[in-house]
Amino acid sequence: MADQAAIDNNHIGQAVSMPLSRVALYVLMAVIGVLFSLFSVAYIGRMAYGDWRTLPEPTLLWLNTAIIMLSSISFHQATKNAKENQIKRSREYLLLSGVLTFGFIVGQLFVWRELVSFGYFASTNPSYAFFYLLTALHILHLAGGLIAWTVVTIKSFIPQKETSDFALKVNLCAVYWHFLLIVWALLFIMLLLT
Amino acid sequence: MSESIIPESELEEVELYHAKSWWTEKVFTQDAKLIAIQYGLTAFAIGFVALVLSWFMRIQIAFPELSIISEGTYYQFITMHGMIMVVYLLTALFLGAFGNYMIPLMVGARDMVFPYLNMVSYWTYLVAVLVLFVSFFTPGGPTGAGWTLYPPQAILGGTPGQESGIILMLVSLCIFIVGFTMGGLNYVITILQARTRGMTLMRMPLTVWGIFTATVLALFAFPALFVSAVMMLFDKILLTSFFMPALVEFGENLTYGGGSPILFQHLFWFFGHPEVYIVALPAFGIVSDLISIHARKNIFGFRMMVWAIVGIGALSFIVWAHHMYVSGMNPYFGFFFATTTLIIAVPTALKVYNWILTLWKGNINLTIPMLFCLGFIVTFLNGGLTGLFLGNVIVDVPLSDTYFVVAHFHMVMGIAPVLVILGAIYHWFPLITGKMLHEGMGRFHFWVTFVGSYLIYFPMHYLGFIGVPRRYYEMGQTEALYTSSAADLNVFITLAALAVGFAQLVFIFNVFWSAKRGIIAEKNPWNATSLEWQTPEQPPIHGNFGKELPVVYRWAYDYSVPGAEDDYIPQDVPNEDVKLADGYSELGVEKT
Repeated sequence: MADQAAIDNNHIGQAVSMPLSRVALYVLMAVIGVLFSLFSVAYIGRMAYGDWRTLPEPTLLWLNTAIIMLSSISFHQATKNAKENQIKRSREYLLLSGVLTFGFIVGQLFVWRELVSFGYFASTNPSYAFFYLLTALHILHLAGGLIAWTVVTIKSFIPQKETSDFALKVNLCAVYWHFLLIVWALLFIMLLLT
Repeated sequence: MSESIIPESELEEVELYHAKSWWTEKVFTQDAKLIAIQYGLTAFAIGFVALVLSWFMRIQIAFPELSIISEGTYYQFITMHGMIMVVYLLTALFLGAFGNYMIPLMVGARDMVFPYLNMVSYWTYLVAVLVLFVSFFTPGGPTGAGWTLYPPQAILGGTPGQESGIILMLVSLCIFIVGFTMGGLNYVITILQARTRGMTLMRMPLTVWGIFTATVLALFAFPALFVSAVMMLFDKILLTSFFMPALVEFGENLTYGGGSPILFQHLFWFFGHPEVYIVALPAFGIVSDLISIHARKNIFGFRMMVWAIVGIGALSFIVWAHHMYVSGMNPYFGFFFATTTLIIAVPTALKVYNWILTLWKGNINLTIPMLFCLGFIVTFLNGGLTGLFLGNVIVDVPLSDTYFVVAHFHMVMGIAPVLVILGAIYHWFPLITGKMLHEGMGRFHFWVTFVGSYLIYFPMHYLGFIGVPRRYYEMGQTEALYTSSAADLNVFITLAALAVGFAQLVFIFNVFWSAKRGIIAEKNPWNATSLEWQTPEQPPIHGNFGKELPVVYRWAYDYSVPGAEDDYIPQDVPNEDVKLADGYSELGVEKT
């Protein structure tokens, strides 16, 4: 007992040995994961009703998927370079990731335009409504990520002595992008299968 | 020996944010304690609105001949009363106010880990409250859909507030959830990562455990409300048919078709049931601490209490459909949800036993906080037992939508948590303001609130048994259906409700009066062990603790320890600094 008390007295008061921002990101991703899961459950629940029609997925979605994958790969490279202290190269990859993300968002908006031009409105069928809803929500989460991306990219232009904090920030952005890539991939698979 | 094995761990302190102007210090503050007060005042302000709405409703039910409000207004008031009390008052108060004030102080941190985010969280909450409040003044007024907002009626003509009230309600809920998520991240990560040295998870006071678990619940349950709110907004504004079946309104076919109102109910209650525990778990935690302090005895079965909180939190996610027995479901589903509902009674009953066993042979001081705690135990027990009735399908079906249900949930998640909140305010008011609340007004407040609540809700159980339906704005000529005593009881309940309402006015006066003119509180007036009372200043200033953060050497329940001279040992006092009582060579060891 006394030994345990001595051990406890030395406890540093942290549950996991990780920077605060990383823990925060993991918790946030868990919450976002629950949000998308619940939308998916609602999607599957609503599918069971007779009026459900299958959405013909435009081919452009495949291209958009490729773009967001590239942006994730580019983020990975940005992290790798930041960790190796190659700030300039890291910055180049950061800018590329941003451009690709913008490309993805614009691509998704084009998909919307295509669907609308075919007369697939949100009110036409719940499957179309879900498509707009899920893609919009995914874009919103990417847009939130772009705020962090802006901050980190600006930081990459400022010369700094200590780069580990910068590397951490780039890494956190990359983790978030990988996460949103997985979310999109799962959504896309769900859309393709139904 | 063990100390030599374990290296001294030194963590660098994170630099504390310091405000540069009056605005950033007092208004757009990043200090968790001030944010807590902002949360508290806002929640009480909007909660007061909900209280006044209930007075109108009670007068209408008791004296329908006065026609004080119309049937449409009655529905609007009932909706706003419910939603405000559950989400905007109780959730905001327990997590936003108590969470912000207590977490950093109780775990020995200088502030929340993300103070800026914490500030934004409060202002987002305020926007949510304002958006909701504005709906009182829009054409058509606030929504009258009932606090559960069931479609299809929530967005159809004929339901009051379907013009803009329902939209504002849904938007406000979405804003609230976004704001809460920011706060919730802060609470969880501060507790996990920013405790002071020696503060292991199992040394945290139960208040922190309750708030922590409730926050985790809220982080994972609120998204379900968000999903249902967004989808209903789509149905209302973009005319989608997520929840809306084919309908004829005023002889015309609406464009809706094929949607599932039951889907909404599942989503809503997947949030709704954990919400009960989002309110209850912090109350459990706080009441455990208060009972221990005011009975001068360590909490009985501390570890059991922690695991009960965690267990109840986990179980709360698999009971939601017990709110939907009358919506129609596969009988096996009903069986499953009835079973899980009854299982949740096990850890809950365990907590009640432990509170009682803590009181047993304790040195019970009948202070005002203790009175509220005792009031809580019996009220929660009452409300919990009627929950066992309603958890059973066969009993629930006839009682559904009667006053029995109203009585049940008001006892268990209205009165019970509010008694804890009030007790907690009497307990921590000296810490927050440096003054004591007035004793006489406090005792008056307790007795009228406690006895009055029973006079309101006990008769409601009876009304439910004889079949009086809830949500009716007047009973009309009901002699054939119920005895005339139902009408007389309604008058009685209304008078009791007004008396309880008056007692709350006395309380509000007491808070403001005592904050200005109250007796100055001595340091740590209740002789409590937890860290919030061990700050150099009372009330604690920005940064909470002095130059050095406290180091924790024990749990928060060292009361009446054999061998110690005082009947409490603060958490930051090491064994060697404890003054020994005569006849003891060390703690718990008598001289031979």
